[in-house]
Amino acid sequence: MYLYNEFDQTLVNERVEQFRDQTKRFLNGDLTEEQFRPLRLMNGLYIQTHAPMLRVNIPYGLLSSKQMRMFAHIAHTYDKGYGHFTTRQNIQFNWPKLEQVPDILADLATVQMHAIQSSGNCIRNITCDPLAGVSADEIEDPRPYCEIIRQWSTLHPEFSYLPRKFKFAVSGSPKDRAATQVHDIGLHVKKDAEGRIGFEVLVGGGLGRTPVIGQVIAPFIAEEDILSYSEAILRTYNLFGRRDNKYKARIKILVRETGLDKFKAQVDAEWETIKNGPLKLTQKEIQRVKAQFAPFPYQTAVSTNAPNDPQNNSGAFRQWLKQNTIQHKQAGYRVVFISLKSPTQAPGDITTEQMNKVADLAEQFSFAKIRTTHDQNLALTDVLENDLFLLWQQLNDAQLATPNIGTITDMICCPGLDFCSLANASSIDIAQGITERFTDNAIDTGNISLKMSGCMNGCGHHSIGEIGILGVDKKGEQWYQLTLGGSDSHQSKLGDRLGKAIAKESVVDAIEDIIHVYKAQRTVNESFTNTLQRVGLQPFKDKVYAAH
Amino acid sequence: MPLIKNNRLVQDTWHIIYDGETLKSTNNLVDLAYWQANRTELITTHSPIGLRIDGNEDIELIATDLQYFSLIAINFPSFTDGRGYSLAHTLREQYDYSHELRAVGDILPDQALYLKRVGFDVLDLPNKESAELALQKLSEFSVFYQKPVA
Repeated sequence: MYLYNEFDQTLVNERVEQFRDQTKRFLNGDLTEEQFRPLRLMNGLYIQTHAPMLRVNIPYGLLSSKQMRMFAHIAHTYDKGYGHFTTRQNIQFNWPKLEQVPDILADLATVQMHAIQSSGNCIRNITCDPLAGVSADEIEDPRPYCEIIRQWSTLHPEFSYLPRKFKFAVSGSPKDRAATQVHDIGLHVKKDAEGRIGFEVLVGGGLGRTPVIGQVIAPFIAEEDILSYSEAILRTYNLFGRRDNKYKARIKILVRETGLDKFKAQVDAEWETIKNGPLKLTQKEIQRVKAQFAPFPYQTAVSTNAPNDPQNNSGAFRQWLKQNTIQHKQAGYRVVFISLKSPTQAPGDITTEQMNKVADLAEQFSFAKIRTTHDQNLALTDVLENDLFLLWQQLNDAQLATPNIGTITDMICCPGLDFCSLANASSIDIAQGITERFTDNAIDTGNISLKMSGCMNGCGHHSIGEIGILGVDKKGEQWYQLTLGGSDSHQSKLGDRLGKAIAKESVVDAIEDIIHVYKAQRTVNESFTNTLQRVGLQPFKDKVYAAH
Repeated sequence: MPLIKNNRLVQDTWHIIYDGETLKSTNNLVDLAYWQANRTELITTHSPIGLRIDGNEDIELIATDLQYFSLIAINFPSFTDGRGYSLAHTLREQYDYSHELRAVGDILPDQALYLKRVGFDVLDLPNKESAELALQKLSEFSVFYQKPVA
């Protein structure tokens, strides 16, 4: 894990004091709401329906147990005893007081954390594969590159007032687990014929009102050039991106209106002038950062008889083992997902006590490190197989072992109308309804990605869910538009509209109809997407709209 | 309006020429349309010349004329419009423009340091209070991840 040196720490401390002053001036009336707005957003602070919401960065989804304890402290001291993990691997606190936010940031700075650029029209948290470093199919660990990009983009003087927000995602494996195709810039680690490391660069992907799959702008940019190439894209975007309409201001619109070829020519012309300048990375700098992501000292000759131990023959344990853990590149270890989709909590929510528990368990079983995932869950990525039963017992006691990872009840969900001032419709109660309906047969139904957003801004990534639910406003009433067949895995795809929007009280029934059709139509082990491709939308339409 | 240069407040020695106004003998700050219409006259009789452009101006329109300007003022129509930062960077780094580069328009004191880091050497703040605050804000950070524009 990257640890701050004195330089990094000074910068974050100075940022806290800067924001403290800005908050004070706003509260004194020396900054208008209009002036304060972009300044506070660049520090992750929204003014929401009930209270401010503070979004804290978790760079590329990696945090230490100490940092998790700090989240618990913040939730307990400044909030209502819980936090909410987001689809971009960050955490949000929904009830802080504006005047206390500088103190929260000061507390965060003591554990090398901050909220810098977690919102606003600037470069946001760099996200990556939650399995980085532990996955057997990995070409190269993407996290050192994420850290290098994080530093370059942090408080970047030129790119702090972009036309719109800007998101990077980096994947180190051929199998894309970072949704890179729906980011403003998506980077795929590649090796060329000589074994040199570089990146395939995608540009102009994004969700929101106009979901677009990113296009390849450069098939291979060598690792030492990744900052200069990124800067060339950002400068081109900053100069030419639309500023007349915030719904057309993302880079995806610029790329579409300019045309990829012309946009690429503009970027290349800019890049040519800077590629051999100060942004060129030295091997020394790359290795300095890489050294901080060295693999853990794994035990090698481990006898893995634990799952056969008679005491471990609890059915619930075995179900959890099968559903919530996956293979690790190191024999004798497994990756454990901690489900934050229990029937008793909103998706992604976690209490103070649970945060402290996760920190304890990370220290006990997983080198004191925790990952956050795009699906709003957590992971302990380096657990000895022999420890799994012990770990499960403790997770289970803390209601953190719902065996539903990848299933329909492991849904992605935005905060919706309950918290968000943009939302048209609620998400959390629909999620609750789906959870209640499917909890008993989620595993039997098989893996299905269900994603839900309370408005077309798409924070719940509905367009790339196998089942997508979008809240819409119809004359003051909450309705829901369903889409089927979206994907954010290797080949991203946007879902197709099922038909007209569905009234709130019928949404859960409609989802059950869809599942019913899938189960009736699927062949053995056939995924939802494959079944849909084979039989088409019609049987699903027939069932859902015949009933409603 | 109050100017900041070399970390202190200074007097403005330039005259902003608005549409239809007569030129002063020297140090006229004109807009792009005026420059284009009166280019020869300005060069021959009114040097040094300053040019005022918007952050979204196409740099190609002035690229071959940069030698004539002792001052380029980049206007920020709104403090949230960041084009002027990239324009300043481009003028300094790609076109090697080395004379005064001034940020004018809607600027917050909180932006002073970023403006300086991308190549502006003079900042035109809307009033004395904000100029004094901007002076303090220039030393708000002691460390940076990015190299400054020279």
